[in-house]
Amino acid sequence: MHEQRSDMSKTRYRAVCCAAVFLTWTAGCDRRKEPSAPPATSASPTDAKPTERVVGPLSPEEAATLSTMNDRVNAYVELHRKLEADLPKLPNDATPKQIDDNQRMLEKKVREARASARQGDLVTPEARVVIRRLLATIFGGPDGKQLKASIMDETPAGVKLAVNGRYPDDVPLSTIPPQVLQTLPKLSEEMEYRFIGDALILLDVHAHVIADFIPDAMPD
Amino acid sequence: MAMVASTACSDPEETAAVAAAPAQQSQDPVVILPNAADSFKFAVLGDFGTGGKTQYELAGQMAKLHDRFNYGIVILVGDNLYGSERPQDFTRKFELPYKALLDKGVKFYASLGNHDAREQRFYKLFNMDGKLYYTFSPKANVRFFALESTYPDPDQFKWIENELKSSGSDWKIVFFHHPLYSSGDRHGSDLRLREGLEPLFIKYNVSVVFTGHDHFYERVKPQKDITYFVTGSGGRLRKGNIDRSTGITAKGFDTDLVFLAAEIKGDQLHFNAISRTGAVVDSGVVNRRKASQ
Repeated sequence: MHEQRSDMSKTRYRAVCCAAVFLTWTAGCDRRKEPSAPPATSASPTDAKPTERVVGPLSPEEAATLSTMNDRVNAYVELHRKLEADLPKLPNDATPKQIDDNQRMLEKKVREARASARQGDLVTPEARVVIRRLLATIFGGPDGKQLKASIMDETPAGVKLAVNGRYPDDVPLSTIPPQVLQTLPKLSEEMEYRFIGDALILLDVHAHVIADFIPDAMPD
Repeated sequence: MAMVASTACSDPEETAAVAAAPAQQSQDPVVILPNAADSFKFAVLGDFGTGGKTQYELAGQMAKLHDRFNYGIVILVGDNLYGSERPQDFTRKFELPYKALLDKGVKFYASLGNHDAREQRFYKLFNMDGKLYYTFSPKANVRFFALESTYPDPDQFKWIENELKSSGSDWKIVFFHHPLYSSGDRHGSDLRLREGLEPLFIKYNVSVVFTGHDHFYERVKPQKDITYFVTGSGGRLRKGNIDRSTGITAKGFDTDLVFLAAEIKGDQLHFNAISRTGAVVDSGVVNRRKASQ
């Protein structure tokens, strides 16, 4: 993060790339029950401008997998909006009590509506593999170490996560660098990606509810 | 004590006392705030919402300054409420410490840090109008742009580019939580954010950028003609955290809490960084960037 640390030597870069490939391969060995990830496509987005980069590159199979995830996330958002529409609309000059009441009512409704929610309902096991590969590509790149450091900056380890559980009030929100956001599938305003430890959270921002999460999403 | 010129002060004795106060922790001569009647005055505060004793003490200094230097707004660079955000927390961590200022009609404009829930954007006293990123112009030719730096999605980049491009204001001032330049040993410069934002700031003549996150005060040497401040010690302090070896520090102060008082008059922005004890720990003048630059 220091100025002097901003450049990585070519040697170090090669070493990190090799390590990333090795770690991705070994991580795949540990997750044999999941579908194997399709090979990465040859085109790389890492040269694109951070403000212009888009998700991918994806193989057709990966695109189809993320499309399924997208459908499920959209269904979740639809439910969220329906539940939120039943609540009094929060004005832009709200009091703390109005804000707190509104947020906790929505949380209650969402959690009740998804009482049987399980991990993988939104981010399917197949999508999990693709997301992990995309993240491994980002964090295995020349800026990977810095990106990871900025995300993990104030992110505590060892927090017990539960789908449909409340995002812990005392856990600061991890920063999600633009390079990561532009590589993951876009979410609607109600949802955000965040990390807690090395898990990638799909956070319902208004309800403070963990809609789903991917454990071990951050490559070692 | 903050160094305020006597022209607009009502009590000459008070002014004399103020002017005689030493600039602690600084070997440099203090640049006095002009305190002109027709200038635009504001304050900057960051990383403050602890509800602790020292936050209240710094807030006391802000109120004390306001008696002599009538600033109308405070911009907040994030981490507005640490920990729980129940209604009583808004009271204890914001409304009570700054009550004297709020009672005088001072308006606070917030940006959000990594400790802030997104609902804060609806909070009346943060004046965010329900938006995570927004812009406002409190005076002709001065425009502020508040960004949300924990989740800088592509839409926000498009938004800030359009807003900076279309703004005809002489002074374009941007504020957000994560510093593009910082000598913090704990956090430091956010290089990834810098990659996306700095070219826009340069292209569209942003003159000054205020950030926080690192819990100290730092004025960074002008970077590509833009002046960056880290004002992240409004309530939390990380003592001795400035890494002096970065070579980017124009002035750093990491031994006590600090807020910044600023005044824009014409093409100049005067500033005083003021500590919890009322000492001026940094001061100076920033010249506005112009289109030809």
